[in-house]
Amino acid sequence: MSHAHRPRAIDGQAPDVFSRDDTVPMRQFADTDEVDFAIVGTGCGGGVLAAKLAEAGFSVVAFDAGAFWRPLSDFASDEREQEKLYWLDPRISDGADPLEFGSNNSGRSVGGSSVHFQMVALRFRPEWFAARSRLGYAIDWPVDWREMWRYYDEVERACAISGPLTYPWGPDRGRYPYRAHEVNAAGQVLARGAEALGVDWAPTPLATVSAPRGKSPPCVYRGMCKIGCSTNAKQSVLVTYIPRALDAGAEIRDLAMVTRIATDRQGRATGVEYHRDGQSRFQKARNVVCAGYSIETPRLLLNSANARQPTGLANSSDTVGRYLMVHLNDAIWSVMDDEIRWYKGPPSMACCEHWNYIDDHPDKDFDGGYAFMSQGPLPTDYARTLVTNSGVFGHELRRKMALYNRMAGLKMVGETMPCADNRVTLAEETDAFGVPRAHVTYAHDDNDRRMRRHARAFMAQMLEAAGGRDLLETSSTAHLMGGCRMGADPETSVTDSDGRTWDVPNLWVCDGSLMPTGGGVNPSMTIMANAARIADRIKTLCASGTSERAHG
Amino acid sequence: MSPRFHAPYPGWDILDKWESPSFNDITRAVLRRRLTEVHARRFFTPAEWLAVQALCDVVMPQNDNPRPVPLADWIDAALHEGRSSGTRHADMPSPRDAWRQGIAALEAEAQARGADGFANLERDAQNAMLRDVDDGKVSTEHWHGLPPQRFFRNLVLAEIVAVYYAHPTGQSEIGYGGPASPRGYVRMQPNRADSWEAPPGDWPDEDTP
Amino acid sequence: MRPSARNTRNRDTRSAALGIGALAILGGAAILMQRRTQPKPRPKPRRKLRRSAAIMGASMLVDSAMEHFRGGFHNKAMLAAPVLAAASTLGATARAPHMLPVHATSVAVGAAGLGFHGYNIAKRPGGFNWDNLFYAAPIGAPGGLAVTGLLALASDAHTARHGRMLAGFTALATLAETAEVALLHFRGAWHNPAMYLPVTIPPIAAALLLEQALHPNPKTRGAARGAQRLMAAMGVVGTGFHIYGVSRQMGGWHNWRQNAFDGPPVSAPSSFIALALSGKAALDLMEGAP
Ligand SMILES: Cc1cc2nc3c(=O)[nH]c(=O)nc-3n(C[C@H](O)[C@H](O)[C@H](O)COP(=O)(O)OP(=O)(O)OC[C@H]3O[C@@H](n4cnc5c(N)ncnc54)[C@H](O)[C@@H]3O)c2cc1C
Ligand code: SF4
Repeated sequence: MSHAHRPRAIDGQAPDVFSRDDTVPMRQFADTDEVDFAIVGTGCGGGVLAAKLAEAGFSVVAFDAGAFWRPLSDFASDEREQEKLYWLDPRISDGADPLEFGSNNSGRSVGGSSVHFQMVALRFRPEWFAARSRLGYAIDWPVDWREMWRYYDEVERACAISGPLTYPWGPDRGRYPYRAHEVNAAGQVLARGAEALGVDWAPTPLATVSAPRGKSPPCVYRGMCKIGCSTNAKQSVLVTYIPRALDAGAEIRDLAMVTRIATDRQGRATGVEYHRDGQSRFQKARNVVCAGYSIETPRLLLNSANARQPTGLANSSDTVGRYLMVHLNDAIWSVMDDEIRWYKGPPSMACCEHWNYIDDHPDKDFDGGYAFMSQGPLPTDYARTLVTNSGVFGHELRRKMALYNRMAGLKMVGETMPCADNRVTLAEETDAFGVPRAHVTYAHDDNDRRMRRHARAFMAQMLEAAGGRDLLETSSTAHLMGGCRMGADPETSVTDSDGRTWDVPNLWVCDGSLMPTGGGVNPSMTIMANAARIADRIKTLCASGTSERAHG
Repeated sequence: MSPRFHAPYPGWDILDKWESPSFNDITRAVLRRRLTEVHARRFFTPAEWLAVQALCDVVMPQNDNPRPVPLADWIDAALHEGRSSGTRHADMPSPRDAWRQGIAALEAEAQARGADGFANLERDAQNAMLRDVDDGKVSTEHWHGLPPQRFFRNLVLAEIVAVYYAHPTGQSEIGYGGPASPRGYVRMQPNRADSWEAPPGDWPDEDTP
Repeated sequence: MRPSARNTRNRDTRSAALGIGALAILGGAAILMQRRTQPKPRPKPRRKLRRSAAIMGASMLVDSAMEHFRGGFHNKAMLAAPVLAAASTLGATARAPHMLPVHATSVAVGAAGLGFHGYNIAKRPGGFNWDNLFYAAPIGAPGGLAVTGLLALASDAHTARHGRMLAGFTALATLAETAEVALLHFRGAWHNPAMYLPVTIPPIAAALLLEQALHPNPKTRGAARGAQRLMAAMGVVGTGFHIYGVSRQMGGWHNWRQNAFDGPPVSAPSSFIALALSGKAALDLMEGAP
């Protein structure tokens, strides 16, 4: 099997992600070394933070429960095989609208979910960072949009985003580092529909290069981004920030599952308990950072309860695990007269943020916003959407699937409201390491339902305007946000604006779970920008002696 | 009645590209296993097995396939290996228990309709019964703690299509391009295909405006 | 040195340095040879022009055949470009008589092609925007066919006045070609510093040539000639870069069926060799060589 069962980042060497079987040197620390930062998770939050902190001269060990892949030799053109990229350990899904996990929103690899994300690289609308005070819903971020805007610039450069020269919505954003890709036939359906309705559209800014970049060849339009890019054109955290981290002297520990954050009698974090290669171990650290994403970060904090903090670490406000959000991910699919062959090219090459930037419109009966993109699901992904939404089977199913090459689709990314009852708790059942499984409760509210209705009607209108017929509506959710939100008020948030937990001065959070609101765009760029910002904040705090770093 | 299946891409077989730059070593290794390693039944009991095979056949009728995809065998293997999707609905048992219970419930449902078991129902009756299950119109207690629609859609249908359309047979049938690494695609415009893609499809009248 | 785990470090700068080094050697040698070979009679301008037309035509032939193949020869008119490029090329190389109608047709079809390509761009969603300029039918490419035809037609030139006209025409063609390169290298995000060369050297060469066309000046003619030689050397080195470029695409030359199309066009840089030959022929004519 090509699954990596044994750790690969060992003996002072880590996989060279640009090779088939080479390694690069890696600095290593002993469990007994008290490192400056132990980071749990190496995705959009943890990976960026590890690189920037190591570059600033801190000693860093970053753990990931997942494997350290070499895309060129490990990634097959096969959906079933590539499930190895997802977090497949079951989570208990409860509530009126139970969520789907696994391939839908959770990765488990060095590089995190960015290894299989679809590379849509959008920015928040500036007003969303002050959703409550500017737009009257949800809650404000404890960060000014201009600061975030600078960090979007930074991470977009680091990931060489390929985007259009002019982006129709929002304030000017400078020029994307790489030019946009040629919009595929599936994207042109959106474009034609938008032009027919008289609304703007844009080639989607994507985290895959349109020209060579160092050892990354340009995208070959194989369309399998969601199951991992075997070309290395995709600028995931695995091929951008992880190599930077290694170069700067960080250690990456792959296949290392952190089960508990240890604390001393004063309630300060002392390091992490983890499992690797069949052994239970303990890494000492001056600071611990949780970057396991919206389910695992709360789960880890809840499971690290101690005598002084019996309801979970950093949970005096009872917000750990709460305000979990998703994006509405409803879609409209239609049969086109043309052969579209949507399997070619990244799945979402055209996007429309029209309804993200409109506040006062007689038709707009919901708070928040939504974007939507053209689609290109792989065969089993599309088939699953079809059967779970419609229950179709038999010859009718085969007939519907035979229209695969003539389908087009539009899928929304719609903001949901932060709600205290949408939350992660611990289940009674435990996993292989004895850690209680996550129990996730989720329910939509009326605003979600109104937005969903609006988006479906608008997308259907656009598809029809583009010549689509036999429309099919499907419903789902995507992405995770929140669960350990940052904020200005210790009573209603887990961390301050620097990602430092209010309760434990040397315990931090740095991933998607910090997000106080979800916005109407895919979250990875926001998570990365926020992590880049937090890294700089930590550097500043250390320079002024207000952080918990002891020099070693 | 559902219309018969018309294959739009007759003769297209992604496996013909086996030696081409569309395939790389790991993809060849994975597909070789998929095509050759079919395990004998390990999870289901012989009695369940009959029903599972019949179920696969109703959901994905393959009488026109010269080499039918061994759907039931793959489902059995996945359950035997304890493959998980990452989600367990709170109102559902674990996948293994859910399948056991669901198959028993289908058998009971078929018996309530006067047959020996699901496999012995007429095809029309099988179709009708599955539609009822999907609508939640069930009559036996065997469904207790197992929402029929969720069982049918999220486990049965989702698993069967996941196997069928991950198989070269299912992929070729719909004109999918198949494996594509290192070589991807050049022609991105509508109605244009590279020479290593399926040639333009042959569409039955009802699909062509 | 410690091997770097990173993606970008040094790779492009190294290949750029290598290429620019090669250009310096080649270009230097070309310019030096210009001094040395002075006593030896130069090839006649007519021969240079024929070669120029042949190289341009060959470059157009490959380019249009490939690009129109990518377009699946969807429109039968798309066959015209490679066929005429082939005819003009053959005509120019074989010195076939009575080729005037063929070359004239090349010019006409090239001009018409500009219209076709414009239409192709306009009808894509978004119309005349950057993305379509990048990826729809290349806006200026058919001009290359027209230039081929004109160069072939010009091989009858023999007076100094002809030389001035040819110099002016060549300078403008060089600038047009530069514009196309600028567009495509911009699309490639100037990912390799050497990509700036073909938007730097040709405009200089064109400016010097244009100066000769407007104000013939024997004193600065040497510089103009040197610039043409440098541009020709750049065409050679550029071809090398493009061959290397294809090899860096996923799957390299083994995956040529994709990369010859999606990678840098190998035949394109040689058009600068053709233009440099034409420029030199123009200068020869101005110096009185028939
Ligand atoms: C299929 C899919 C498509 C997507 N497409 C897009 C898109 O187009 N655009 C976009 O912006 N976003 C997209 N996303 C979302 C995006 O990938 C995530 O929002 C983002 O990666 C989250 O970053 P993170 O750092 O919070 O978590 P992750 O990137 O998920 O990283 C968390 C990491 O922590 C590790 N981990 C967790 N717990 C532990 C533990 N206890 N011990 C050790 N390691 C642990 C995990 O293994 C994982 O690798 C997509 C997501 C998916 C699933
Ligand atoms: S389409 Fe591009 S980014 Fe996606 S998997 Fe293929 S090469 Fe990678």
